[in-house]
Amino acid sequence: MNRHRLHIAIMVHSQIIYEGLHAVLSQSDIDCVICKVDSLDDLENILPSKKVDLLIINPLLLVNREKDVRRIRKNHPNFSIVGIHLGIVDNHSLALLDSSFTIFDTLEQVLSRLQKTGTNSELKFPSNDDNLTERELDVLTQLVHGYSNKEIADSLNISIHTVVTHRKNITAKTGIRSQSGLTIYAISKKIIQIEDVDLQSH
Amino acid sequence: MFDLIEENPSLLLVMQHFNFDFRVGDFTISQLCKEKGISEKLFISIANLYNGFKPKENPIDSVDDVKQIVRFLKNSHDYYRNDKYPQISAYIMQLQKNHPEKELKLLEQFFNEYFAEVIDHLDYEDNVAFPYFIEFLGNRDNLESNAYSAQEYSEHHTDIELKIKDIKNLLLKYVVINDDLNLRRKLLFSLCELEYDLYIHSLIEETILIPFGYNMEKA
Repeated sequence: MNRHRLHIAIMVHSQIIYEGLHAVLSQSDIDCVICKVDSLDDLENILPSKKVDLLIINPLLLVNREKDVRRIRKNHPNFSIVGIHLGIVDNHSLALLDSSFTIFDTLEQVLSRLQKTGTNSELKFPSNDDNLTERELDVLTQLVHGYSNKEIADSLNISIHTVVTHRKNITAKTGIRSQSGLTIYAISKKIIQIEDVDLQSH
Repeated sequence: MFDLIEENPSLLLVMQHFNFDFRVGDFTISQLCKEKGISEKLFISIANLYNGFKPKENPIDSVDDVKQIVRFLKNSHDYYRNDKYPQISAYIMQLQKNHPEKELKLLEQFFNEYFAEVIDHLDYEDNVAFPYFIEFLGNRDNLESNAYSAQEYSEHHTDIELKIKDIKNLLLKYVVINDDLNLRRKLLFSLCELEYDLYIHSLIEETILIPFGYNMEKA
């Protein structure tokens, strides 16, 4: 699975962590090129011109940036995000990651995690016909968490009628009708994290 | 009959649902239907449905035709229950084993729940709806007190093939699975076969059996 070169961007503020990751990756079997990005804005600027398969990020840099991350993912569906936990864990940012590791994991664990996620991101295909709008994504996310039309309407401050319209559009765009089917869709598209889903309830 | 099967092998399924043997020799449809005691018109109407043509008029002419249709539908139920669904279920289970991603675990759960729903639906038709149509014919005088009706049947009748479409769409458009093309093709073929037969099954119920029930109730 190592035929393709992985393009890895690293976004951590600590120089020591950056240098450490760089050294570990450079000395590993993973064929990769590494670049440093300072912020999500920085990432968004380079993405159109530069190939990025994997972003390794300190998840704390994603706090309160959910919307930006979703937008970047929507525009650039072909890269994965791996978190490197340095200590404190924020659940909201966790949901934005494809996978993660901690600074206490062994090198083997870290590398295999990165390689697996990197390989998966190569397999993701950009798809144009099922691009959901921000609002549709909001409705979908709540829907797969089991909320009713009424609850979704209340929480998004829209009418039930609008929720139903969004649901119709989601089905028209994705070709998926059932809630269980949409859950699997949302996971495949990285709209929600699999950890969010209670395996027993679906 | 031999030529027709060569042209459209899905006819074999129609024959199986009608309890025809596959060794047709040089017999014509007419001869085979006569031998089985099945109206030729009925057989051709249903075979035409499989070829994409809806009958212009209701092919049910007699009490015996209703019994034949009910038998046909019951046989298709057995085909779903004992052949198609277990086959798909086994493919999905194998796929999940080969690729232990949680997405496929969810797909397996989705399918199993759906399978249970389908079994409920089939049991309902076998135990409530079909006996109604049979009873109806045997004892029409008692019918006014009977709470059940063709209307109820058609309301209960759900489009069970829609979730098959979901699974097909997920596999063809979204869920990432590495390689395993043989297994995935077999699964997709089975899903398509099942979807098509379910579609025809609903057509038979909706365009033949239910309208006939309405007409009888009115009469």
